[in-house]
Amino acid sequence: MSVDRNMRILVVDDFQTMRRIIINLLRQLGFTNMIEADDGTTGWEKVQAEKIDLIISDWNMPKMTGIDFLKHVRSSEDHKKIPFIMVTAEGKRENVITAVQAGVSNYIVKPFNAMTLKEKLVKVVGDF
Amino acid sequence: MTDITLEQRIAALEVETGKSETIPAKDVADFVSAVKSMFGRGDKLDGNLFHEIGELAKFINNAKKELQEVQGTNLAEKEIPQASNQLDAIVQMTEQATGRIMDECEGLNTNLETMRDVLLSMDPPLDPDALAGIDGAMTEAAAGVTRVFEACNFQDITGQRIQKVVKALHEIERQVLRMVVVFGLAAKEDTLDDTTKAELAEDRHLLEGPSLPGQGGLEQDDIDDILAKLL
Repeated sequence: MSVDRNMRILVVDDFQTMRRIIINLLRQLGFTNMIEADDGTTGWEKVQAEKIDLIISDWNMPKMTGIDFLKHVRSSEDHKKIPFIMVTAEGKRENVITAVQAGVSNYIVKPFNAMTLKEKLVKVVGDF
Repeated sequence: MTDITLEQRIAALEVETGKSETIPAKDVADFVSAVKSMFGRGDKLDGNLFHEIGELAKFINNAKKELQEVQGTNLAEKEIPQASNQLDAIVQMTEQATGRIMDECEGLNTNLETMRDVLLSMDPPLDPDALAGIDGAMTEAAAGVTRVFEACNFQDITGQRIQKVVKALHEIERQVLRMVVVFGLAAKEDTLDDTTKAELAEDRHLLEGPSLPGQGGLEQDDIDDILAKLL
């Protein structure tokens, strides 16, 4: 399966530095269409307002956490099939299980590199 | 009196006194009497026990003096908040520095793309071997920029860990203030306002923070193993 490098990717993290890192790594991997949000609430608004093909989200955020954001997405009939990758420093077993139970597509623990991000993207959206 | 155990007596006293700092003299007398009964010696308590209680009283008195010497109020009201502010400043400065590093990296990427476009559109075209060599070097330069971006991950992790320390300092500050109140050094029970208390309670979960290596956090490989079984 060939991936559309122009797919719309929503990057959600309360930390601007982290959003820039992820967006730049995605750019290095050839993706061109990224938008960002600084917490789950804003992310959820963007999901409802725009056509999003993939979500990459942090876990620990104010207002709405990544796991709550994931649950919102998965409970929505219109958006529940959007691939959702959790990127977080929460590397504890129970967190991974909680995320899987909530319907996460894959899980990346910080710190990570471009190779790890690519591997996860391939698993979630297909090879490129 | 003899029907009630010492533990029950202490529990009853705690219930009766609630949050009050003072205990009625009669209750203290009853309590002492209960202790005497427990040792079965009436008014002729063992000399060693008196000695031990005396030593304990001296220890508490000395501890109180030492606390006064370290100026608990000063520690809680100035030194710990200052340490927290310093750590906050470190987070802000590293965030700004990381931002500048990434600005430069993004600039380098733009320049590399511009150079590639210029070289490819040269007329007459460059020698193919020379062009391939330049292209290889530029690709390696772009990979180096990517590695710099990857390395910037540190800021997020260290920032979260420092926040964890700041929260811990807030908790220490709260406990020191509590000791100050208990030992009567400041006698200002409401040194922390309600808003601060509420914020501390609300932020308590953040003390978890990202775990340090070897403290329960899993590596990516471990997480992939779990995902392989669950997904």
